[in-house]
Amino acid sequence: MALLEIEDLRARVEGKEILKGVSLSLEAGEVHAIMGPNGSGKSTLAYVLAGRDGYEVTGGAVRFLGEDLLAMEPEERAAAGLFLAMQYPVEIPGVSNMYFLRQALNALRKARGEEEVKPGEFLKQVRAAAELLGMPQELLKRDINVGFSGGEKKRNEILQLAVLEPRLAVLDETDSGLDIDALKTVAQGVNRLRGGERAFLIITHYQRLLNHIVPDRVHVMVDGRILRSGGKELALELEERGYEGFAGKAA
Amino acid sequence: MARARTVLPDPSYEELFTRARNRLPGSQLPELAELRRQAWRRVCEIGLPTSRVEEWKYTSILGRVQKALPLLEATAPPLEQLKAAFAGGVEARRLIFVNGRLVPELSHTGGLPDGMAITSLERLAARQPERLAALTRPAEEEGSAFAWLNAAFWTSGAVVELAAGVRPQAPLQLLFFQDAREQAGMTHPRLVVRLGPGARLHLIESHLGEGEAGQWVNLVGAVELGEGAELVHEVMQAPPQSATLLARSRIQLAAGARLVRNIASLGGGLVRNETEVHLCGSGAEALLNGLYMPMEREHVDQFVRVHHEQPGCHSDQFFKGIVGGKARAVFAGRIMVYRDAQKTNAYQANNNLLLSDEAEVDTKPELEIFADDVKCSHGATVGALDPSALFYLRARGLPQAVAESLLTYAFAGEVLERVVDPHLRGQMARRVLDRVPGGGALEAEGLV
Ligand SMILES: Nc1ncnc2c1ncn2[C@@H]1O[C@H](COP(=O)(O)OP(=O)(O)OP(=O)(O)O)[C@@H](O)[C@H]1O
Ligand SMILES: [Mg+2]
Repeated sequence: MALLEIEDLRARVEGKEILKGVSLSLEAGEVHAIMGPNGSGKSTLAYVLAGRDGYEVTGGAVRFLGEDLLAMEPEERAAAGLFLAMQYPVEIPGVSNMYFLRQALNALRKARGEEEVKPGEFLKQVRAAAELLGMPQELLKRDINVGFSGGEKKRNEILQLAVLEPRLAVLDETDSGLDIDALKTVAQGVNRLRGGERAFLIITHYQRLLNHIVPDRVHVMVDGRILRSGGKELALELEERGYEGFAGKAA
Repeated sequence: MARARTVLPDPSYEELFTRARNRLPGSQLPELAELRRQAWRRVCEIGLPTSRVEEWKYTSILGRVQKALPLLEATAPPLEQLKAAFAGGVEARRLIFVNGRLVPELSHTGGLPDGMAITSLERLAARQPERLAALTRPAEEEGSAFAWLNAAFWTSGAVVELAAGVRPQAPLQLLFFQDAREQAGMTHPRLVVRLGPGARLHLIESHLGEGEAGQWVNLVGAVELGEGAELVHEVMQAPPQSATLLARSRIQLAAGARLVRNIASLGGGLVRNETEVHLCGSGAEALLNGLYMPMEREHVDQFVRVHHEQPGCHSDQFFKGIVGGKARAVFAGRIMVYRDAQKTNAYQANNNLLLSDEAEVDTKPELEIFADDVKCSHGATVGALDPSALFYLRARGLPQAVAESLLTYAFAGEVLERVVDPHLRGQMARRVLDRVPGGGALEAEGLV
């Protein structure tokens, strides 16, 4: 059984059809990349998977670990093991990063019938994750993403990923906004979290990230459909040729 | 003929004044007795405001104050509740007022540094009555009937004076406890704070209480900061729902003085704060942060005026409101930049969160600018929780109800985190949590 099975998924935003029949299958432990031009529907796919309001599914199905993902609330999807690192992480003044992270972890544990994390253990976990990602401790105490630079926000997403330990992580352009060194650090972080059962769906515009996180499959999304899928060499081909020549682009 | 905007106080006030005036502190002193009579006449001239007075458009107070209530007497307050409200740390000095009367046995003002004095008005009445008139006389142009009512009827109060350069380490807490378990009535406490040049004080003011009997507190404060003086004034207002609290402060800053005022209104049936800040010297700075959170049928009114009288001053108003149930909140903030006040920086933000369809917010930010070289901005919002923030929290696993509670708390948290004293901040945070729908389910540990 595939970890994630997307079948002919169609979705609308504000009455406009954005996803026009997306199919994709991802096994446990795999890393897939999705590339595609601006506005092709990559973030929309990510949001539909995570269950954001305002994204109306008009057809198709998504199974996650055999369950009907689309029937679940966002928090149930998180508890089932889905994580979305967002393209634009939200700033939430008034609550510290650290508090939020502990509540999130405990909410996931509770939903799975597990005990709350012990404060000492939690602290250790967060420190280790912060170190792994080269993130200053100081950022942990600050309000969620408030006053974070673009790159710090992205790192914060991966920090959450490292602490929450999902089964499937969808990274929506985590690489944009990162400087070259940060990109390496984050990629190393992701690679450490890779392996075993955990799978990744990585949305990116740049081959560069895929040099560091080598994908098992690459999919090309154009105008709400996956037009081609292939091995990691497909990313190189895209880098050279661009999206030109992909059918449907002109349509 | 235009309808009267104000009304005469009920004759019960006159009766009370006649009965009580010989027993009020300092009544043996002709000058003070005359001041009280004069103040009483001013009350009658000005009259009590109806909602036809522009400044009272959204707050009707008349029903609560038109008839005189007995002057409150101190009681033996519940000590545990008092102690729970202690803030400022173990070193803090403390004045405790029960029903508006200073209780010296419970207060602690020993070991003050040289050049710092804390004196009660009652004590001054016994020892230095000649000082009282100057300390209790409103400014001649004072247009608030309540300020004059206070000058006529005050029974208690405190004078805090710091000489030049005096900077006590320990905060001073003024704790007002309304014991409304049995007594209904009114009280008109008065507060005078004077900081000499370069002096610095951390002042904490707490209002709380218990009971159903209706009480009205008409507090008047006069604060003067000398050149380069610095005052951090933090206020938590959480009187019982049966109470009416009117707190009027007039704060004057000399050149280079700095005021930080953090005020949280977290209780009381009707609370109105009137804050007038006068930046009278160049380079003065006033940071005003406020949080109000009326629930059920409570009413909170924040009336703020910042007068930029001199060049190069900075002011920043940051007020947030969370309004639930059938409650109502009013924010009227005005920035006034006088003609000579070039290079003024003045900001004002008022953001409100409505938790129910029946809750109401009236927000009225105003700018009056008579200088040309100024940077001013103001803005007001009234809204609901941010859906993208809600989604963010849920996508990380927080159940919807918890995410909503947390975001509501966070809205307040943005003000709370500016509160300097950790004890007071903790007390405020707990009260905020009590008021946030579902807040009981949030883990308090780690929240601000
Ligand atoms: N809330 C919305 N309202 C209206 N249109 C929307 C909304 N969200 C997305 N769209 C539209 O849907 C299309 C797909 O957007 P999406 O964000 O999924 O693209 P993307 O592939 O992630 O692009 P990028 O590479 O620029 O991030 C775009 O045309 C966009 O304008
Ligand atoms: Mg996108």
